[in-house]
Amino acid sequence: MQRQDKIRNFSIIAHIDHGKSTLADRLLEATKSVSKREMEDQLLDNMDIERERGITIKARAVTLNYEAKDGETYEFNLIDTPGHVDFNYEVSRSLGACEGALLVVDATQGIEAQTLANTYLALENDLEIIPVINKIDLPSADIEGVRNEIEDVIGIDAEGCPAVSAKTGLNIEDVLEKIVTSIPAPSGDENAPLKCLIFDSYYDSYRGVVVYIRVADGKVKSGMKVKMMNTEAEFDVVEVGRMSPFGLVPTDELSAGDVGYLTASIKNVADTRVGDTVTDAQNPTSAAFPGFKQAQPMVFAGIYPSDGAKYPDLRDALEKLRLNDAALTFEPETSIALGFGFRCGFLGLLHMEIIAERLEREFMLDLITTAPSVIYKITYKDGTVKFIDNPSAFPSPDEISEAAEPIVKASIISPSDYVGGIMELCKERRGVFVDMKYLDKTRMELHYKLPLNEIIYDFFDALKSRSKGYASLDYELAGYEPSKLVKLDILLNLEPVDALSFIVHADSAYTRGRKIAEALKENIPRQLFEVPIQAAIGGRVIARETVKAMRKDVLAKCYGGDITRKKKLLEKQKEGKKRMRKLGSIEVPPETFMAVLKLDNEN
Amino acid sequence: MNSIGFYIHIPYCVQKCAYCDFYSLAGRDPAGYSAALIKQIKSCKKYYNGKFVDSIYIGGGTPSILPPENIKTILEAVRAYADVTPNAEITIEANPGTLDSRKLSSYRAAGINRLSIGLQSADNEELFMLSRIHTLEEFENSFLLARMEGFENINVDIMYALPFQTFAKLSNTLAYVADMKPEHVSFYGLKIEDDTPFGRHPNIKNTLPDEDTQVRMYMNACKVFDACGLDQYEISNFAKKGFECKHNLKYWHNLDYIGFGPGAHSMVGKQMFSYKKDIDLFMQDPTDADALLDENYKMSIAEASTQYVMLAFRLSEGVSVGDYNSRYGLDFEEKYLEKMQPFIERKLIVKTNKGYALTRRGMLVSNMVLATILDFDEI
Repeated sequence: MQRQDKIRNFSIIAHIDHGKSTLADRLLEATKSVSKREMEDQLLDNMDIERERGITIKARAVTLNYEAKDGETYEFNLIDTPGHVDFNYEVSRSLGACEGALLVVDATQGIEAQTLANTYLALENDLEIIPVINKIDLPSADIEGVRNEIEDVIGIDAEGCPAVSAKTGLNIEDVLEKIVTSIPAPSGDENAPLKCLIFDSYYDSYRGVVVYIRVADGKVKSGMKVKMMNTEAEFDVVEVGRMSPFGLVPTDELSAGDVGYLTASIKNVADTRVGDTVTDAQNPTSAAFPGFKQAQPMVFAGIYPSDGAKYPDLRDALEKLRLNDAALTFEPETSIALGFGFRCGFLGLLHMEIIAERLEREFMLDLITTAPSVIYKITYKDGTVKFIDNPSAFPSPDEISEAAEPIVKASIISPSDYVGGIMELCKERRGVFVDMKYLDKTRMELHYKLPLNEIIYDFFDALKSRSKGYASLDYELAGYEPSKLVKLDILLNLEPVDALSFIVHADSAYTRGRKIAEALKENIPRQLFEVPIQAAIGGRVIARETVKAMRKDVLAKCYGGDITRKKKLLEKQKEGKKRMRKLGSIEVPPETFMAVLKLDNEN
Repeated sequence: MNSIGFYIHIPYCVQKCAYCDFYSLAGRDPAGYSAALIKQIKSCKKYYNGKFVDSIYIGGGTPSILPPENIKTILEAVRAYADVTPNAEITIEANPGTLDSRKLSSYRAAGINRLSIGLQSADNEELFMLSRIHTLEEFENSFLLARMEGFENINVDIMYALPFQTFAKLSNTLAYVADMKPEHVSFYGLKIEDDTPFGRHPNIKNTLPDEDTQVRMYMNACKVFDACGLDQYEISNFAKKGFECKHNLKYWHNLDYIGFGPGAHSMVGKQMFSYKKDIDLFMQDPTDADALLDENYKMSIAEASTQYVMLAFRLSEGVSVGDYNSRYGLDFEEKYLEKMQPFIERKLIVKTNKGYALTRRGMLVSNMVLATILDFDEI
């Protein structure tokens, strides 16, 4: 047998909670790569946030050795993929490094939108797909139903596909054997010029950037000069090796068909973009892998330190995160309301939440995040075109010849019972119905064109609440369309607050403005005077609420026994005030700036 | 020579009121308590040695639950150990349900010259709801008896912002009290405390008068008291001229006081200390300060001066700049004027001839004002 014949490179595709991480753990266990005792729960997801949210943010890979029933020992390279729509591109690159994929479907839930989208990506990459029906230990498992669904919806043969319980370990052997028999071995040319696909990278303070690669052709070893074909950066390879469940294990070389890593004293992950091709600088391959894209932020928000003095700390923290996250962009921004901060660009809302959470947790920063915005395309009356990602830069209506906003193609899968509510939601969010079809007797797939602007607020939450958590969503960008956009300003105590402005479609401006005014009223504590809250478009007030003045806040009794207590009480009240942001003469808590995000009444 | 006030805590009552979170035990026999108190008073001599005692306040609980002879022995002991001035103000708190003429004359004989009676409301339904043990009629009898026994300095406690209380109901209580012509009135807004029957009631907050009504209630009460010669001298206290409570003024002037009995608090110089709320521990050995002490800390100048400002702003006379500056060697205006400015502009703080004071509207939002101007960081 040839060396490559004993290699199997594959990914696992699954919806959140369908058991991807658990299955990966069982595979590690079954291949004796890790003993149960050694295994921290769900080894592959090793960031805290990942473990808590049950999702994988960055791709991971691991090499396992499996002794198959044919007596041969196979090398499995399991490449884990992120499972969220924000990271679609990363998924497609991870899949590009494989010959096959396990499609994990929950026997009690069936196929979800995200799974479907990733399966199509896998099919586009010509991957061999092995359906794995999971959670068969649950009483409500419907193995045959799910098998039929896989055949009907995806159109792949599910006869004889493994039905397992990753939780109990039942039938895991079937999966391992299926990987050996069904997934094709790699077939690269070891003697051709070097050609590797980068499917992930991360910054390590000792080695510099560690680049995860799949070698398609040729060989790579330390000392070799390599070139990134898209960024054109060149580096001398310091080390190559493989990913064991316990960390990196250096080897002499990696050859065609292998999955592994290389280090080359690279200082910035921006030089090692996912999807780029690594080749021999002296003897380059003729063509790079197709489909390389620069990570494009789609959602923008201002991030400010609660304590203005922490601005340099925030900058350092963002720079550290960017070492590992080429998709994160940021540039300094100043707000009258919030002081010095950064305008940050993200792949999507989840990416934004993850970054904000990491900044707060790992760097101990207290942050104020403004409402996210998308990039608008403005054609001015004089014909110039500008892309605007910050509402405060949005021109006044008389300067605009045409305003356009990004549109996405959205696919929603839901039990048919909730379709009515979902269609209503999509209509409220200015969705244009494309088509819908039954996936099986009870579940439907809907296609809509929706403005991205409407999705980045609370669409996902609203979708979940209107479908009792069953509906799933996937979307991809589908260009710009002209739209009646206006800038909605929020005035507190008659002063406009720049950090609260946002862009909205003219038709929903009134409803939005009213809801925001109401939400702000709930969020702003009473002051010593009445505070009017107004929503306005170009100087015209369209909604008003009032925070009534605080008239009574007094401790009736203060004798000997009350003095220490009273001091503590006032100190606490003072601490509360310190968190507040001063906007002119009024004080508001930092959450105020996010209040405009949670507006769906159905919640 | 310095003076000091004595607070003597009697942690017993017939039954706990639904709103009360003071340390007090219902239905326990107070036998032996006065003897224990006397031992503690004696053991604390180092705190009051060489100082004049010009106020004694016997509070509770319900001090009038004790046999009057006990009160007499306690006061005799105080006089024996401490230098009590001849015209010292000596107050006892009394519950209308527990008073009779024998007790009252015994108090007089013991030298008590001020009586504080808890009425709370002149509405029997409200009294029942507060789980008070007395009726309006019993209050009236106690009050008139006290007058007959020669008490010429009587305080009446009133509470407002009670569950289901209307403006009109409170007005009746105010009119009734004005009619009784006490020398002093304490007028407290009900505060719902966590570990009380009121605090545990899930819907209590919905039964309280709304904020605007509470403000009207307070403003109206001030007007009623004003009209019958009871001048406001503190956020919740009103008195005829010369009848302000000397003992309580010690708290608000940040002057020395020492407390005896479980749960009592003291401030001697910059030392703040309090005893655990544990009657059994106290009865075991009332002289074992190490075992009994709960909080015990010495304030920095920063803390003592901040506390001074916090307390002085409770008074109608407000902060005396001269007194503050000389007591703490600091400059009040340098430290506070800029921070007070927005409140001065809004007429929540006014300049007086001695310093600065909260207006009535300022008093009503005093927590907010103080939380803004006071500085706890340097404490």
